Amino acid sequence: MPQLKQTEQTASFQVTATAGDARAGTLTINGQSLDTPTFFPVLSFYGGGTKSSVFGGGVHRTIKEFMLGKEEIGGGTYDKYFRGTMTSVASLTDYGINQERFNDYTSDRIKDRETFSDYNGLIFVDSGGYKFLHNNGLDGSDFEIEIDQREAFRIQKQLGGDIIVNLDRPIAPNDTFDERQQKAERTAENAVEFARLTQTYPGARYLTVHGYNYSMLDRFFDHIQSQFGNIDISTLFDGIALGSLVPKKDDKAALITAVMDCVEIMEERGLADLPLHVLGIGSGSIPLLVAAGADTFDSTTYIQNAINQKYAVSLTKHIPLDAVDFNQCDCAVCSDPKLVNWMQGNTEYQKDVLGPVAMHNLIIHRQEVRELRQRIKQHGTDPVIDYLDETVGRNDSIRKQTHRVVNEALGGYF
Amino acid sequence: MKQHPEVNEVQEFLEIASDFEDPLEIIRESLSNAYDAGATEVVITIRDSAAGSDIIIEDDGHGMSRDDLKSFFDLGNSRKTDSIGHKGHGTKIFYKSDRIVVDTAHNGSNFHAVMDRPWEKLNEKTLPEYEVSETDTRPGNTGTRIQISGFRSGEGFDPQSLTYDKIHHYLKWKTIAGSTAHFFDDSQREMEVVVDLDDEIDDTRDQLTTTNQLTFPREQLQPSTGEFPATRMCKHYPPRKIEFEHDEGSSTVEIVGMIGGKDARNELPTYGRHSVQFGVWLAKDHIKVEQINEVLTHDNEFIHFFFIANCQNLELAANRGKVRNKASSLYKTLKQELKHYMTKIAEDPWFKEDYLETRKRAQLRRRAQSQTTSLEERLESIDTNGQFKPTNRSEVLLALERSNNEADNSITVKEYKADHEVPAILLDDDTLRTSHVYVELTEHFEDDYPLGSADTILCWSYGDIDILREYERNGYHGGDVEIDLQDNQIIYHHEDRHTVDIITVSDRLAALEHQPLTSLD
Ligand SMILES: [Zn+2]
Repeated sequence: MPQLKQTEQTASFQVTATAGDARAGTLTINGQSLDTPTFFPVLSFYGGGTKSSVFGGGVHRTIKEFMLGKEEIGGGTYDKYFRGTMTSVASLTDYGINQERFNDYTSDRIKDRETFSDYNGLIFVDSGGYKFLHNNGLDGSDFEIEIDQREAFRIQKQLGGDIIVNLDRPIAPNDTFDERQQKAERTAENAVEFARLTQTYPGARYLTVHGYNYSMLDRFFDHIQSQFGNIDISTLFDGIALGSLVPKKDDKAALITAVMDCVEIMEERGLADLPLHVLGIGSGSIPLLVAAGADTFDSTTYIQNAINQKYAVSLTKHIPLDAVDFNQCDCAVCSDPKLVNWMQGNTEYQKDVLGPVAMHNLIIHRQEVRELRQRIKQHGTDPVIDYLDETVGRNDSIRKQTHRVVNEALGGYF
Repeated sequence: MKQHPEVNEVQEFLEIASDFEDPLEIIRESLSNAYDAGATEVVITIRDSAAGSDIIIEDDGHGMSRDDLKSFFDLGNSRKTDSIGHKGHGTKIFYKSDRIVVDTAHNGSNFHAVMDRPWEKLNEKTLPEYEVSETDTRPGNTGTRIQISGFRSGEGFDPQSLTYDKIHHYLKWKTIAGSTAHFFDDSQREMEVVVDLDDEIDDTRDQLTTTNQLTFPREQLQPSTGEFPATRMCKHYPPRKIEFEHDEGSSTVEIVGMIGGKDARNELPTYGRHSVQFGVWLAKDHIKVEQINEVLTHDNEFIHFFFIANCQNLELAANRGKVRNKASSLYKTLKQELKHYMTKIAEDPWFKEDYLETRKRAQLRRRAQSQTTSLEERLESIDTNGQFKPTNRSEVLLALERSNNEADNSITVKEYKADHEVPAILLDDDTLRTSHVYVELTEHFEDDYPLGSADTILCWSYGDIDILREYERNGYHGGDVEIDLQDNQIIYHHEDRHTVDIITVSDRLAALEHQPLTSLD
């Protein structure tokens, strides 16, 4: 068995309040603190462009301009919505760049670049496992890089991720039992190598886990544990990242089962003190999964919805952009006449029409999660139950799952 | 020249009185009036007479003033504002009779009012008159006595058809005697209601006594023993006031109710056909008006539920049989609110897991029992020395036959009936065994078949063993299940212990290149 030393604490997680299974806490990494539950917006720091285009990337570019408070968007202060962001190793070559540019992107830590020097939020760098599962690596216009655990970590480190995860092999709904076991073994092997490689890494190290229910997750943890022998994995990782749920993102029942069962297993295995991150899930699932015990989330839905001309009025409700009355929202974006004008289509680039919509969507996301956080901190479970009841519980398609979470994680209505 | 449409007063009275056919509707009006008059007791006596029925209603309320009495006889002049009969139609039921006599004591005066032959006069197109005489009475003397002689019931409503049971159920279902107001308002006064029927009508008891409060059958959260353990289960859902906004303003709905099995429900009074009485009722004045079972989602049978949702902003038809303002935003929003609330009830773990599961398991058990008999018959009819003659070509069965070359023992299919729950009878080592047949063992659990309906499960493979493990973890049909893949057995504990053998055809075929079994744990 590998000898792994416990490293200096660069990350900690303190739970400050609970309401049923829901918890509020503080995640501290490298001296930066985030209140949980919290949402990490996914963004592409490198979208094929150069420094002068804030490294490009359509709507992502405008989002980065918001993040950095650039003149282009009127210079407002939006940094509080970007205290934690998520990006992926796999997104580096999304725009078919050449090798020279790739080398440039990975030559310095994101925050060490002049362009992003004003950004001081936490960057969660995903390993990109879901993408490398099918094409073994990063694919540029004139180069290919095979990705293994060592290479994935090298890039995460180069980008300066504050939170990094092992290279994983996500499962798919149609995987057979045997296929899942093979993937679990590969992920477990990677986890050991990841733990060894990152012993002195100055950031938080999360372990990815995969499964849709207790039995799958429990077996997955068994694979991991058998690779680590008798080493207590809670001393090696700073968090758990539950993956493979994106194909199930519209199946709320499945998401809730996965999170509830994962929470149960973490408790049984002495990992309950670690934060639980749910990879790739956002929007209307968040309140339900927070109630079930998840702490942090990431997703691109705020951008995807903007690209589809959908403007958020809540986590579960979106309206077509051309039907929006911007007076109804008092967020910084909708209060800015210039940005409203852009959202109404009066600008040259589509990214500037949709970028502010994405920013507004993100603000709605963050506000709702903040509200949830405050409810958890209040006395008893009623504030959280009332929140669920008045938000997701009003949605016909989620109502039943809302009741399930209230019954199973918050003590029930009756 | 402008003209205004004319009202034919006589016709108006006739039509309103004709709306009521059931003598019980007199009782409904009288009880509400008595309650409004502060009565603590009201006694209703019904006697059968040649012309119709004689009905006497006496209460100990504060009586009627001269003006009250005027409203009692007038049309459209009710002094009430927000309770039953506020349109002033209610007491016009009494006009369908030979004589109305009212004696009422109020503030030291006693009024005696008589109206003769009201029904006959209305039919002669004249308005009946009444005469009032006033005498002094001592101040403490209060109360009202209304005597209606020769009330004309409609067809099928004659007093002979009345029974105490029928009246009791009517009272509890349709009148203030079935009010749920007391759940929401502590100050709700209790009023005793006594009904006395002529012995000619019903001599099964002397009289009926009840109150103006609907109560639910006693709670019983745990199943009973016996064949139908869920039928007496019952849970009360406490009163809830829900405020909601709609286009016309804001309103409140007050909802209270219960979930219960058949035996619990039988303890409730019912009106009409028992089985259609349950579900969710809209109410006004806390008296049930009309069912609104569509607020229960389709996957829930309304029969388990009995909920009363009271909203004072509902407007009712004159005979209180229907809600009138159904096109309003109020009604639509109310319906949404009820749907929302009823989903919480339907998702309550007690209902979903304790009650429905208990019920379902009992049903499955009974079904399995009834299958046993036919299985025994099938077993008897099999000739143990006969040839394998499959009636179905399923690959699993063919493979089983082939596997006999590889495995140590030989298993043949004696009978296969695809449309039966337990489709196969196998001959294994001279023993006949009843068997399910699946491609994957998981299907048995996914199809929700009872464990114990056959002694064997024949399958090609286990399927996803994590799915099996979830059943081990969560239990199955209320019992514990242990799936032992080393010994190829399923052990099921629920009251008794039952063992089911698993025959995995793929393992038999692969006997030579057999890989070690993966354990469930
Ligand atoms: Zn806005």
